[in-house]
Amino acid sequence: MNPTSLVPTPDAIPAPAWLFWLLGIVMFALHILVINTLLGSSIIMLVGRLVRKKAETPVVLAQNTAVKTMALFAFGINLGVAALLFLQVLYGHFMYTSSVLMAVYWILVIPLLILAYYAGYLHIRSTSPTISIVALSVSTAILLYIGFVYVNNMTLMLMPEKWTAYFANRGGTVLNTSDPIFWPRYVHFLVASVAVSGVFLALVQAHRAKKGIASTGLKIVTGLHIYAWATCLQVLIGLWFLLSLPKDIMMSFMGGNLIHTIILALGILLALGAIFMAFKGKLKATLYHLLAIVFLMVINRANLRSLYLKEHFSFQSLELSPQYGVLALFLLILLIGLGAVYYMIKIVTKANQGRAAS
Amino acid sequence: MNYPIWELPTIGGGSLIALIAILHVYISHLAVGGGAFIWLTDLKATRDNNPALLNYVKKHTWFFLLITMVFGGVSGVGIWFIIALVNPAATSSLIHSFVFGWAIEWVFFVGEIAALLLYHYNFDKLDAKGRHTLAFFYFLFAWLSLAVINGILAFMLTPGKWLETGNFWHGFINPTYFSQLFFRTAVMGMIAGLFGYVTAVFEKDKNFRSTLIRYCSRWLLLSIPFMVVFGIWYYFSLPAEVRSVSFAANPQTMAAVNIMLAATVVIFCAGVFMSLKVGRIVQVLLTIILLVVGLGWMGGFEYTREVARKPYVLGQFMYSTSIFKKDVESLNKSGVLPVAKWTSVRDLHDKIAAGRELFNVQCLSCHTIEGIRNDIAPKMEMFPYMGVMAQLFGQGTVQGYMPPFVGTRAEMATLAAFITTEINNTAIQEKPEPYNPPALLQTDIPDFDSKTDAYVLFVWNDLGMHCISDCDRWFVILPPANTLEAQLIKRGALPEMITDGIEMSYVVETGFENPAAHSEFWTYAQQNFGVELGKNIGLAGKKVTGSFDLDENGISFHAKMIPVMPYPDDGPYNPYPLFTVEAKDAKTGVVLASTRVVAPTSTEMGCRNCHGGEWAWQGAAGVSDVTAVNILKAHDRLSNTNLYDKALKGQPQLCQSCHADPAVGAAGKPAHLNLSAAIHGWHANYMYVDGGDACAMCHPANRNGSTRCLRSLHATIGLECTHCHGSMQEHALGLLRGQEEKKSAARLMNNLKPTQVASAAEVNPRTPWLNEPDCLTCHVDFGAPTPNPSAYNVWTAGPEELYRMRTGVEGSIRCQACHGATHAIYPAINGISVHRDNIQPMQYSNMPYPIGANFSCEVCHKQKKQDSIHHLNMERPVRNEKIKM
Repeated sequence: MNPTSLVPTPDAIPAPAWLFWLLGIVMFALHILVINTLLGSSIIMLVGRLVRKKAETPVVLAQNTAVKTMALFAFGINLGVAALLFLQVLYGHFMYTSSVLMAVYWILVIPLLILAYYAGYLHIRSTSPTISIVALSVSTAILLYIGFVYVNNMTLMLMPEKWTAYFANRGGTVLNTSDPIFWPRYVHFLVASVAVSGVFLALVQAHRAKKGIASTGLKIVTGLHIYAWATCLQVLIGLWFLLSLPKDIMMSFMGGNLIHTIILALGILLALGAIFMAFKGKLKATLYHLLAIVFLMVINRANLRSLYLKEHFSFQSLELSPQYGVLALFLLILLIGLGAVYYMIKIVTKANQGRAAS
Repeated sequence: MNYPIWELPTIGGGSLIALIAILHVYISHLAVGGGAFIWLTDLKATRDNNPALLNYVKKHTWFFLLITMVFGGVSGVGIWFIIALVNPAATSSLIHSFVFGWAIEWVFFVGEIAALLLYHYNFDKLDAKGRHTLAFFYFLFAWLSLAVINGILAFMLTPGKWLETGNFWHGFINPTYFSQLFFRTAVMGMIAGLFGYVTAVFEKDKNFRSTLIRYCSRWLLLSIPFMVVFGIWYYFSLPAEVRSVSFAANPQTMAAVNIMLAATVVIFCAGVFMSLKVGRIVQVLLTIILLVVGLGWMGGFEYTREVARKPYVLGQFMYSTSIFKKDVESLNKSGVLPVAKWTSVRDLHDKIAAGRELFNVQCLSCHTIEGIRNDIAPKMEMFPYMGVMAQLFGQGTVQGYMPPFVGTRAEMATLAAFITTEINNTAIQEKPEPYNPPALLQTDIPDFDSKTDAYVLFVWNDLGMHCISDCDRWFVILPPANTLEAQLIKRGALPEMITDGIEMSYVVETGFENPAAHSEFWTYAQQNFGVELGKNIGLAGKKVTGSFDLDENGISFHAKMIPVMPYPDDGPYNPYPLFTVEAKDAKTGVVLASTRVVAPTSTEMGCRNCHGGEWAWQGAAGVSDVTAVNILKAHDRLSNTNLYDKALKGQPQLCQSCHADPAVGAAGKPAHLNLSAAIHGWHANYMYVDGGDACAMCHPANRNGSTRCLRSLHATIGLECTHCHGSMQEHALGLLRGQEEKKSAARLMNNLKPTQVASAAEVNPRTPWLNEPDCLTCHVDFGAPTPNPSAYNVWTAGPEELYRMRTGVEGSIRCQACHGATHAIYPAINGISVHRDNIQPMQYSNMPYPIGANFSCEVCHKQKKQDSIHHLNMERPVRNEKIKM
């Protein structure tokens, strides 16, 4: 069976593909930053609590930091919605298909996410250390599961030749773990989470230090070291990931395609720079490097997707049925919405300043 | 078709959608209404300078955040996930058509989260103004996100002008946009009050608790009247077609609507009750009950909306099966399997494998197989293969909430085969079972001496076939009631019609004398016909042996409604029992003339072909209990009757007690279609076979059946029922056009198409039994038929023009006297005994042709005649002598 024949016919798109591509890149980059932070800090908190559970003070993070992770839950989901929306506009016909193939695992994400969310709250609210640590474990395990399912789906959608598995298994339990790129990609995500959350934790501590709150958790430099060591490891995993790619795709990133190669090389260079900055204890410089790396890697990810699907699909094949008026309205509302959020934050900041002053 | 189908035969994707959607919608309405609740309650607490109330707001907000932001937020994504799994094509359409709408909603979602988190986590730090601003922002964003999603949800039901223009705004601001927005806003007020109780009942101070509960009750009670008013507006903003197809015609919708209405009443009453001084335990219990009832309300509403959209997932655009409406026509030609992307089967050789694929494409989106929702198995179990075919063919017609079957007829048959063998576990019987008739019977022709006999006696059955439903304990369409008519002529140069001074009697042949031994007609006559009948006595007082009465026309005799049954005491099914008829001089008792006549009477009603069950009598005929019960249950389900229960209580019904019928002189009920229109109109929508085969599915006209009622010359030369009556659809259209003033006629006519005339509007309306095909349409001036004859759509003006009522132009000889009974005109060939319907022509002129044919005027006139006195063109040789008898 010719796998291309299985690719569903896509629907017309209401604006040029590049726009959705760009929106997708931005939203996914923000989403993955938040999710990396959420998962990474959950892992670090859990490891910290398990390793040093007899310590009297909260071991890794103050409650306040954990509370912030709950906001990360909310915005992680919210940004994920946007990223998934724009992904579906361009690649819906691939992604719906791979989702159906693994429907059981995919839909389980929803109830489990709700559970993880509540467990997260239980973790920070419970006065019982046991309940708290169990809740954190549950929450972390679920986040690991969700990442696992996402990596399955995001790779399976790229491989129509594997979709024929459906004809032997229509119950929605097809996974893509046997593909050579699965594990390096998943581990790449996990290590990135630890790295990113190292910077996040350092930022939280820096913020607290600035406000003169006594440090109760890990030190800024520890956060940066977590980042640096994780990123060192990440370079190796990245190499593993690269080598696990089909040869023609791999070669695209190694000179075969100039732009792809430059973006990857730039990302690696910045990563090396970030490791250097982190070891030097330079938080802001590390943060800027990190943000740039994430954006570059997200573009890499999009390039990888195009390469995988080039046999089956190109943006040019999508029919355009423009809705520019509604697009303009969206951009306008986006501006107003962000303005409103800014305004609300101002109200709160002012109130906090007022309290601090009084 | 375009996407793989997640096989969930037991749970059903629909159940998962329902589960997630109902919970989400419940909470998301809280998310908006509760936002207003928090904002306004905070304002009130500030205005009244009430710290206790403010503290309540704080606590309620935490509860609210946990419920709405966590469960509400994630379950909202859950709906998206599940619809993309169960119906990816529709999801893709919605995403692509409204991506910027979704994106705008996402912005509001961001605003909601930001406002709620900032409000909650800074509740104590903010001053009143700051809190009010944030709470207001939260409510505003939440309501705006509703205003966006409302447009897309309403679009799914009523896409309005979008269907033509594809314009975002035409789809978004659609015919139900505003009514639904107002309705949902009112619902949110109710739910806000309802969830207000949850935190209110935990207040420890009794008085404050009571105050709070009364406050929550106000939200709830004030919202409900608005909800009712906007609900009515919402309902009437639906297109009339949706209202009739999805509400009036779909019992499932009405069940959901009733749940919603009942829940509304319960919530209202409980709200009133909560305001009274009741104990805390009662308050807590009531709150729990209210939460559950509220969920039930939401379930009722969501389910109503869901089924109201049927047969579409996207109104008028995409069917629930994910098939685009615009593609149906081409798919009906190409077939589904050759073009579906996600099938491993391309042809129909392996019927089971192909049938399963077709089932997935056409059925699985709504039905489970022995699963928890909309299980196909009990819906299909009564149907044999032909019934399944009929269901598939009629799908989406009179029950417009089902999508039509899409694909070729061969694919339909393949799916039917799959359902029959794999779901019903029964064997496939593609055609009505052939009947193996016993050896031909001998029909003795009575003697006649043209030289010495002074009289000729003509006797005929009025209809040529009388059917009997013979399942009296369940229902009656037609009782045993065969009418014979007769004319006695004194032969001579000027023959004389004899009506005075004679006695005309009839005797049934041996074996048929005791019909009551073979029918429950007499047991239920009182119930069904309102008359107490002695055994073996018919509805007009006649037995199977008796005397004729002079008809009011003064020229012929009749013996009405003789209760003869086709079941002899000893012997196989015989739908053609013979009667011996004698005319005697009333004074002397001398027999003047004697003949025999067949009383065609059949219980071979083919209901079982589709409705299941076996033949009731010796594998030959009769409606069995199983068949009858299946029919009653179908009628009960489709027409909201309780005929089955009544029958179980010993109260079977005469169909004509509701459905008027000139055949039995029943007036019926004014709003109901007459029986012929109802029964043909309904079944025409399901009749998947064409031509005369369609008629023979129900009537005893199957050429391989046990009755083979088409015996006339017309049948012999290859004409079918349809040549006179039109196709099943045309036939039904004529009857329905005659009842167009009745509401249900339009529904039955919607999908019927005539082939002999251009449109349904050109079909001439008719009343059954009175406006019938006219012989003279083809036999112009009694001549040879027109080429390619069709008598369809020209009806007799009234009963006086019917073949069975008319006379020759001389005004005294009934047409049937010389030409034989309707449907058995001479020369007729009877399947159980060749000349059984030709007895009199054989007796009087030793040929099976009409009386007087081939210039045999002497049968009555004792001499040859030159003029065509009875009708034009009669002085000519018979055209059909070549027919092999």
